[in-house]
Amino acid sequence: MNRVTAAPVKGRDFNSWIDKRLPVLFVAPVVGILLTLAIGPLLFIFITSFMSWELVSAAAPQFIWFRNYLNIVLDSRFWNAMKNTLILLVGGVGLQLVLGLITALLLNREFKLKRVVTSLFLIPITIAPVVVGFQWRVIYHESFGPLNYIIRMLRLGNGFAWLADTRTALFSILVAEVWQWTPFVTIVLLAGLQSISPRVYEAANVDGATPWQVFRRVTLPLLKPTIIIVALFRVMDVFKIFDLVFLLTGGGPGTASESVSLYTYINGFRYFSMGYATALAVIQLLIVTIICMNLVKMMKVRRA
Amino acid sequence: MLRISRRFALVVVTMLAISLLSLGGIAAGQSRKPFEGIKIVVFGDAGQNLKPFEWYKDKIKEESGIVIDQVVGVPFTSVYEKLKTEFVAQTGAYDVVVFYPAYLGEFAGLGYLMPLDDFAKKYDPKLDDVSTGVRELNCKYGGKLYALPYDGDVLNLYYRKDLFNNATEKANFKKQFGRDLKVPETWEEFLDIAKFFTRKKGDKLAGETLKEDFYGSAELAARGFSYAWWLARFGSLGGVYFDEDMKPLINSEKGVKALELFKESLKYSPPDVMAYGYEELKNAYLEGKVAMVIQWSDIQKKAQDPRISKIENRSGIAAVPGSRVGDKIVRSAPMPVGRVLAIPRTARHPEAAYWVARYLSVETSLHDVSSSETGLDPYRKSHYANPKSFAALLGNEEAAKEYLDIVAVNLENAYPELNIPGAGNYQDVLDLYINRALSGEMTPKAALDAVAKEWDQITKKLGAARQKEIYLKAVETWKALGIWQ
Amino acid sequence: MKDQAVRSRKSWQLTLIYASIGVLLLISLFPVYWMFIGSVKQRGEFYTSPPVFVPKQLEWENFGRALERGGAKGIKDSLVVAGLSSLLAIVLGSLAAYSIARYGTGGDNLSFWILSIRMAPPVAGVIPIFMLMRYARLLDTYSALVLAYCLFNLPFAVWLIKGFFEDIPADMEGAALVDGFNRLQVFWRIALPLAVPALIVTGLFCFIFSWNEFLFALVLTRSRVTTLPVIISGMVGGHEIMWGEISALSVLTSLPVAALALLLQRYLVRGLTLGAMRG
Repeated sequence: MNRVTAAPVKGRDFNSWIDKRLPVLFVAPVVGILLTLAIGPLLFIFITSFMSWELVSAAAPQFIWFRNYLNIVLDSRFWNAMKNTLILLVGGVGLQLVLGLITALLLNREFKLKRVVTSLFLIPITIAPVVVGFQWRVIYHESFGPLNYIIRMLRLGNGFAWLADTRTALFSILVAEVWQWTPFVTIVLLAGLQSISPRVYEAANVDGATPWQVFRRVTLPLLKPTIIIVALFRVMDVFKIFDLVFLLTGGGPGTASESVSLYTYINGFRYFSMGYATALAVIQLLIVTIICMNLVKMMKVRRA
Repeated sequence: MLRISRRFALVVVTMLAISLLSLGGIAAGQSRKPFEGIKIVVFGDAGQNLKPFEWYKDKIKEESGIVIDQVVGVPFTSVYEKLKTEFVAQTGAYDVVVFYPAYLGEFAGLGYLMPLDDFAKKYDPKLDDVSTGVRELNCKYGGKLYALPYDGDVLNLYYRKDLFNNATEKANFKKQFGRDLKVPETWEEFLDIAKFFTRKKGDKLAGETLKEDFYGSAELAARGFSYAWWLARFGSLGGVYFDEDMKPLINSEKGVKALELFKESLKYSPPDVMAYGYEELKNAYLEGKVAMVIQWSDIQKKAQDPRISKIENRSGIAAVPGSRVGDKIVRSAPMPVGRVLAIPRTARHPEAAYWVARYLSVETSLHDVSSSETGLDPYRKSHYANPKSFAALLGNEEAAKEYLDIVAVNLENAYPELNIPGAGNYQDVLDLYINRALSGEMTPKAALDAVAKEWDQITKKLGAARQKEIYLKAVETWKALGIWQ
Repeated sequence: MKDQAVRSRKSWQLTLIYASIGVLLLISLFPVYWMFIGSVKQRGEFYTSPPVFVPKQLEWENFGRALERGGAKGIKDSLVVAGLSSLLAIVLGSLAAYSIARYGTGGDNLSFWILSIRMAPPVAGVIPIFMLMRYARLLDTYSALVLAYCLFNLPFAVWLIKGFFEDIPADMEGAALVDGFNRLQVFWRIALPLAVPALIVTGLFCFIFSWNEFLFALVLTRSRVTTLPVIISGMVGGHEIMWGEISALSVLTSLPVAALALLLQRYLVRGLTLGAMRG
């Protein structure tokens, strides 16, 4: 790491006083803002999560200790949301990794329009979730959407009421999510692939290995740390999924596609049960912290 | 010192003179335009029903001096959450708010809204002219006036006249069911007819070969307001929300039966019916894909608009079906949504806001409810007495009269919305589980039992004693209006 | 003979590869195409079966109507919020990043604490931030959103800029210190100028995040401040979904961001992984 070690101390005037404390003064504003905006709220949700606080009524908030948490454990709607989130997590991230790896391998060669093609692949990442949500809503439309039209044209069946059918609603969200974030996996893996030295491949070729063997024995092991990092980033994002669910199905039909984030939002800003909503938030914070700690471990390994 | 103070005195005198002059100016202006230059912000569900605020912008400014600075639209199903967040936070962002009266109990009860009685004395909102149900249920709370009517929503039955009058169809129906094909009086008849008209592509319908599948009925089954389509059935069976001890009665036999009737109808509806909100349901009917729908009152005027309708002059309107009790038919037409104009307590310009609200509720209302550009529905006696205004829209004066009569009949059979504090919460839970039962996730009985359990929790959460008191008071009002047993 | 066979197999393989790239690209770009044609379709062209894949004529009016119905204000507010919050992020972020990178201030604990804030679920933040802004009477102001976005942008900026500073050799700064510069001068005259490209890259990333953000904007704004995502989501009336206006505004929302992202392509991997990957 590049660090400046020599720190001259000259004179005892104000300037040097400032200078000595410069490192601390420099981090102070950021730490100050983050403390107010993060630690304050953290304390707030932690304390509120032990209270019954219904903004719908005029009743004053009161402490009920662990009752909110107990209710969450007994709440089938919470477990349903958890299940949905996990399906999105495993299915979505899995698909993104497979598709992203395939695309990265396809793009990992020199060809004429490579730069342009790669740029075009990146467009979905840049689009605002709100826009993504609305466009997919049109695409999924049962009678006027292009997806069902194509399915019918190819005579693959009659199509689905994608967002309105309990069997397909969650899957439809998953597809939109995969559509938007596969390019991210692709470019990160592409960068990983390009950092593998060509000599490694040359050596493998001399040994007469088939392309599949090269991929299994050389590429994949060398790419593994990158894959893990990218997967953790996606896992963390998908766990927090809100926008797409909110905009595509609103959690429906019924609760067939409700995610934990959306359920928390509904408790907070539709039922205005602040205690229950913040207890849900605390649980999610804990889960994200665990995922985050793993990610940090991986980042530290890479830096070392 | 002296010089300074002299200069100071000069400044003070000048300032006084200027302010006096400007005060005079304002006073002079006041006699002409009471609210010169006041800017107000309007809040409501986005789209066609905010249009009048744009239409009369200039006229309002001309007559009162009020500038409608901003019209904020939010999605149809997020009105409660957006408004409630504002009322909790009290930023005073809105001056006139358009919302659904189901929330009136909570909003007025918690003191979020300004009582309008004093303003009403100053500028008459012509409340005697308003349909009794709309006035008492949608506008008043605890004996005080909190809102002015803007939209008189009630559900009606729409059916394809051409199909119901077709000789071949009539003959076939008689052969199959042993009775005449006519507008359904009961929910059982509704289902028979829905089944009868459901046809596959290639089948014949009224002598013509179908190019697409055709369906007997369609319902509003998407999350948000589907509960009202259940209420229509529940109410006709004599169902009520709670007993006198605030014990939920929605999961009674009547409730389950109502939900089964609702679910049965989806068999004869288009495959994507679970995604049908207002828009989709309207389109299915106007595109000529279905024979019958239960819908809000504005569909009839939309059906006559050739730009969006393929069933011009072929749409009939009738009272919602009911249930046979003895030899009588009990009907119940829920009034979901409906819109009122209210003034938040935090509004910066309450009087100007009231002026605008009254203007739209009184001066322009006949035009707005009879325009196909809005989704606003009649709610004043002067609307019902004015078929002429609707004639152009509905084809002729006779059709207009039929329409207005039916709407008035349905309003008489109105089934009140649960408008106690927490209504948004109660409704959302009810709607959620009805949705789950319709999609096959749960059985009707299990779904309604779950609603009852959650309703109990909500009641307890909000203070059981207080909720009960408010509910019983609401029931008294309903009984006085003759819409509650 | 054998050579030829190998070559023809090779060219067949290549064709397959390019064909797959083509298909993937087609799928990837289809929703974007749909948005573009949606913005120029006429009213009657949304609810038709089969859907209109190529509009008969271009209807630019959607853009005019979209701008009228809050779009213009949305663009202005989005620009102000995204601009201010990215500016704040790079100014304060670069100070902290420099201090952490060069002096190891706070050790790993501080930097990972900062990182963990970035990772927290937004929905956990939005409830207390809403309450906080309510007590501070800041709801529905630019400050509310700018501050809320700091929660994401500051940690991001610190991490990304820190990485860039770590990549710049410290020799020159050390030499300058020996020459009698004080630390502030070293930062201002030597380190910062070298980091200008990094600051621009970071700022643009922050801009994109804030521009696209939905949840906080939904909860913290009313009428005085309305960013583009909120305007777009508000165009769903009970009685009609304004597809033409939504698509037009979507195009206006997406174009600048897509252009920025392409500009940043070299740094995209690094930005999106918070510097975990030096792509």
